[in-house]
Amino acid sequence: MSQSEAVIEIRNLSKVYRDFWGRPKVKALNALSLDIRKGEVFGLLGPNGSGKTTTMKLLLGLLFPTEGEITILGKSAADVSKNERIGYLPEESYLYRFLNAYETLDFYGRLFDMSAAERKERSEKLLDLVKLAPQARRRQLKEYSKGMTRRIGVAQALINDPDLVMLDEPTSGLDPLGNRDMKDLILDLKKQGKTVLMCSHLLADVQDVCDRIAILYGGELKVMGRVDELLKAQDETQILSSKLSDAAVKDVQEVLKKHGANVLKIDHPTANLEDLFLKTVQESRERPGHRTVIEGKSAS
Amino acid sequence: MYFDPNENLIYPLYALSNWVLTTGGLMFVVLFVSLANLLVTRGKSGVGVFFAEIRGMISDVFSISPRRIWALTRLTFMEAYRRKALAVFVVFAVMFMFAGWFMGDTQEITPDQVKVYVSFVLTSISWLTLPVVLILCCFGIPEDIRLRSIHTIVTKPARRIEIVLGRMIGVSMIGVLVLLVMGTVGYIWIVRQTPERSQKFLVCRVPQYGGIKFINRDGDEGTGVNVGDIWAFRNYIEGATKARAVWQFRNVDESVLDADGNLQLENSFSAFRSYKGDMTRSLFYDIKFYNPENGVSYTTDPQPVNEFRSKLDKIPRKLTVDDVQYDLIKDLVTKNKFLHVEIACIDREQYIGMARPDLFIRMPNRPFWVGYWKAVLGIGLIVVLVSMIGVAASTIVKGPIATVLTFVLYVLSGKNSHQFMDALMSGDFKGGGVLESIYRLVTHMNPTTDLPETPAFYVVKGFDLILTSFLWLCKQVIPRLQSFNMTEFVANGFDVPFNVSILPSLLVTTAFIIPCVMLGYFALRVRELESK
Ligand SMILES: Nc1ncnc2c1ncn2[C@@H]1O[C@H](COP(=O)(O)OP(=O)(O)O)[C@@H](O)[C@H]1O
Ligand SMILES: [Mg+2]
Repeated sequence: MSQSEAVIEIRNLSKVYRDFWGRPKVKALNALSLDIRKGEVFGLLGPNGSGKTTTMKLLLGLLFPTEGEITILGKSAADVSKNERIGYLPEESYLYRFLNAYETLDFYGRLFDMSAAERKERSEKLLDLVKLAPQARRRQLKEYSKGMTRRIGVAQALINDPDLVMLDEPTSGLDPLGNRDMKDLILDLKKQGKTVLMCSHLLADVQDVCDRIAILYGGELKVMGRVDELLKAQDETQILSSKLSDAAVKDVQEVLKKHGANVLKIDHPTANLEDLFLKTVQESRERPGHRTVIEGKSAS
Repeated sequence: MYFDPNENLIYPLYALSNWVLTTGGLMFVVLFVSLANLLVTRGKSGVGVFFAEIRGMISDVFSISPRRIWALTRLTFMEAYRRKALAVFVVFAVMFMFAGWFMGDTQEITPDQVKVYVSFVLTSISWLTLPVVLILCCFGIPEDIRLRSIHTIVTKPARRIEIVLGRMIGVSMIGVLVLLVMGTVGYIWIVRQTPERSQKFLVCRVPQYGGIKFINRDGDEGTGVNVGDIWAFRNYIEGATKARAVWQFRNVDESVLDADGNLQLENSFSAFRSYKGDMTRSLFYDIKFYNPENGVSYTTDPQPVNEFRSKLDKIPRKLTVDDVQYDLIKDLVTKNKFLHVEIACIDREQYIGMARPDLFIRMPNRPFWVGYWKAVLGIGLIVVLVSMIGVAASTIVKGPIATVLTFVLYVLSGKNSHQFMDALMSGDFKGGGVLESIYRLVTHMNPTTDLPETPAFYVVKGFDLILTSFLWLCKQVIPRLQSFNMTEFVANGFDVPFNVSILPSLLVTTAFIIPCVMLGYFALRVRELESK
């Protein structure tokens, strides 16, 4: 991917949560620096409590950084006008439970100063897009299941046709079908040229849709880079073929031996972002302060 | 009838300066508290943030969108509706269904009973509406923060000012709607509860008050006689002497006359007898009109004092003095439309007592509903004020605390606490300020002796001065709700005067708008909207 313009620039960002008396309680984020470029889907990974949500809230100006700088769409995080071009799906859907789906979208549409006709058209389109059942649209949100709430949450985030979409755990609470829909939606957004920042601990989702990822652990950036590069083991080659007989496997091993290569494992390939993730977490636990790979280059 | 409608009369220029003072005082408090808070939480960089936020606030004002405010207003409305806050109507309906049982059922009632009806209705309306409004305004934003639904709003282009304004307008509108419905029901109830024959008591008398001065028994200007009332509301003039009470009415012209062309003068004088005399006969007074410009004067026949009730004297327009015809308006009113009226007591060694509001020109009556709805408007203004203060408070503290705070402020804004603060500040209390009186207490010093002028004296005085200034600030910050209560006028059968009641209430209410919005803005801006 070309080094196109950065939509989000985070420099040296730290966040310390304080208690009522101003005493530091939790260091949720420590000296995070990263860029998110226009048009990419960026995944923020990390185990629970690693600071993903904190990062998003800092970007949106919901929290104030203890240290460091944020530029988002060329503006500061505290600038409300940046929100014109941002869509945000909170970790849990903090929507108004006494409104129904139409009223919800209408309300948020008004906050973008959209006209009545615009709001109506957009709501209809979005509810179709997120596949909210038509008979549910007039029911109050308090009657919704988790998956339905998630869908209306996404619709709410897209009401203004944003350039930058920030999704906090977009697939949480969705069934496999919903999961698939959500991934398609994200890919669709990417196709429309939008920038997507999502965080998740569900690795399969991230692997499928993200261009680049960063893995946070304990508020620190551990790994960052393109998904395909990160998953490419530098000193291994994987050979994938249709099913071989035992004899054929033996023959292949012979050939490899002739070329001086060792067969490490003959196996069915698996999604192994999980491996990377577990390895990173494992390593971080054992060797605090260690960074594995940043932007495809090894570092220590 | 001890009620002096003039107590809080405000003149327009004074009103304006009062408004500026209240707004300014409040804004000062808000800015000071915000800066202090920022300095504590952010250290030195707080100053920068403070000025950035002031700039932000100003730019917010210019990017306000009515559509966004309306969206937030509607949200407040729907929330109240769907959360069944309007169940208050049920309580109201039940109250009125049973109230009739206790009110008796007669063919004829006295004005005092009408007074009870009107007070009952207006008081119950305000006591039902205010708690609902208080809860709605104090819990809206804190609940939004607790449930974090506010995150979905502040990550949209909604400005903090709009969030505060939307809530304030929303709650006020709910309050006003509730008032309108209850007011209508209450009005119908009063009219139906009043028997046919007593409907005449449902009026709005429109008084035009004048200024009063007293002439003593020897003809000099004075203060009248105090006959020993503990509360010197009325002063007395002695009979058959030169003692007079002189009223001067302004703006007197044809419009004050009734349909038959009479000048109606209503009084509620009281009589004081220094000896028993003839108890079957009232004391008598006469009314003299005179015009100092042309020397014309006219004195009425002696009139009996109606003790404990009001009395209406009708003066015809065409007057005959020594066979010469005079016109009340043309000849007895000065060029600048002043009318001088002198009251004298006729009976020797007896006294007639009067205070400024005891004599007034009665203008043509207004219908009862005019005064009634003005009184409801008064409640409406309290509703608006409470909504603003409650919403502002709720941006800083949690719902229950905001409710208590607002309620305490509401209680503090009554008549008594303001009078107490006035008294403290006027220095009428002997013994000086806080520190000085503590010093006097400890040293057993007499409050009338002066303190020795040592350096400590100045420290004490200086400290007390600071405290007094603080008190002064409190006085500006605590609204004066006295004028908002217009029930008394209507219950007593009067119209609600504009410059005595409505204008001051409007001024107090509007003076709170800017500071409350500012406070809300700052509170929502400088703190992280996590639930805490
Ligand atoms: N409001 C808060 N007050 C104090 N600590 C918090 C608050 N929010 C989050 N934290 C702490 O900050 C850390 C990071 O949390 P978060 O960003 O929510 O993690 P993630 O989204 O990656 O699961 C956690 O240790 C969490 O307990
Ligand atoms: Mg999270």
